[in-house]
Amino acid sequence: MDGRSHFHAELELFTDKLLHMAGLARAALADALRAFHDRDTALARAVIDRDAAINQLECELDDFCLRLLALEQPVALDLRRIVGGMRMIIDLERVGDEALHVAERVIFLAHLPPSPMPAHLEELAFRVTEMLDKALAAFKAGDAALAQEVCRMDGGIGDLNVLVIKDALGQVEQASCSPQSLERTIHEVIAARSLERIGDKAANIAEATIFIVHGVSIKHHCRPF
Amino acid sequence: MAHKIKMAARNLDFYYGSFKALHDITLDIQENRVTALIGPSGCGKSTFLRCLNRMNDLIPGTRVEGELTLDGGNIHAPDVDVVELRRRVGMVFQKPNPFPKTVFENVAYGLRVNGVRDNAFIAQQVEKSLRDAALFDEVKDRLHDSALGLSGGQQQRLCIARALAVAPDVVLMDEPASALDPIATQKIEELVHELKKRFTIIIVTHSMQQAARVSDMTAFFYMGKLIETDNTETIFTRPSNKQTEDYITGRFG
Repeated sequence: MDGRSHFHAELELFTDKLLHMAGLARAALADALRAFHDRDTALARAVIDRDAAINQLECELDDFCLRLLALEQPVALDLRRIVGGMRMIIDLERVGDEALHVAERVIFLAHLPPSPMPAHLEELAFRVTEMLDKALAAFKAGDAALAQEVCRMDGGIGDLNVLVIKDALGQVEQASCSPQSLERTIHEVIAARSLERIGDKAANIAEATIFIVHGVSIKHHCRPF
Repeated sequence: MAHKIKMAARNLDFYYGSFKALHDITLDIQENRVTALIGPSGCGKSTFLRCLNRMNDLIPGTRVEGELTLDGGNIHAPDVDVVELRRRVGMVFQKPNPFPKTVFENVAYGLRVNGVRDNAFIAQQVEKSLRDAALFDEVKDRLHDSALGLSGGQQQRLCIARALAVAPDVVLMDEPASALDPIATQKIEELVHELKKRFTIIIVTHSMQQAARVSDMTAFFYMGKLIETDNTETIFTRPSNKQTEDYITGRFG
């Protein structure tokens, strides 16, 4: 028998809403990348418009957590689910913001002729998406081992971002680099920076999952795990 | 930081007749710290508490096996003076139980039955104990009025003052705030924080939030067994045992 079934039902509802928010942030990233790849300004504008829904959910879930903490005085796993969840809310909202920044690049690049996505940027997009997917899957399943794998992936993301910047510098140094080409390159570097940040957020989400499952914070390596 | 062990149970079993109420309890009670005993009704926490000053001796047919020590000495050793043990290990009960005497005489009682005759010393100790129990300022003009005229919260702090007057080492508290309103409860909890500087405190409580607020160590009992003991912070943030987690999060069944 669950002596706090009402509270635990509220916690389940909180998790459902958090997963819904995660779904919106994940969709924003996928659509922003597709819009970037296809130079689809309509899809980019849709990503920008849909960010308000993610922001709204952040406010709603913040209030939800505050209410549960004040009224239910949760402890142990219940407490960790709320505290870990609050950390995720912040990271998911920022995933939405960074996806929006990628989408904005599409609008800025709209007047330029289409060109293929640089290989390292494409790989960065693929890896970051994989990281976010795994981080969210780890949270959903309470899988700390998968969450740890996500944390380990983060270093490779930074390296890829450096490669994108190196490619851009190589491009700019070429005598044939036109103003249009320079403009495109700048926006690609900005998009890569946003993707790298999404990778950071995915790692944060994975850390929150480890905190929820094991009660240890591995942030900044402050606790061994 | 390592804390000195004030009391210790080693493989303690306790029987009410043929019913075994405590099973193989091994638990250290650290000096100048608050240890909370939690668990559902009938789990053995109050029985264990009453073992610590041999209050269970008063119940016919009870029996203890294993060892319980105070400062390393076995409290069941044949030469132990039970009255002296209960002076050193005082007790505060769930319901305030002042004697039908004046406020002053309630606190002086323990000293008088322990043979103290020096009235100046008694008066000094009464005031000190009432101050220690954070009650003096509220009753200083009513010291010679009946204790039964005090509020429930004041009566409970009077009982704490009465327990402190005989200079115990350890104070056992059996749900000391369960009959009190939230303000009186808050005063008792604040008092516990102050008292642990000079006394070792063991508190039985049904309020897990109270255990979390007042104690340094928490021990979870279930069906006469000690399931888990650890720092209170650890118990309430990441307990090791699934039964502890289920109990404190209300998933018990």
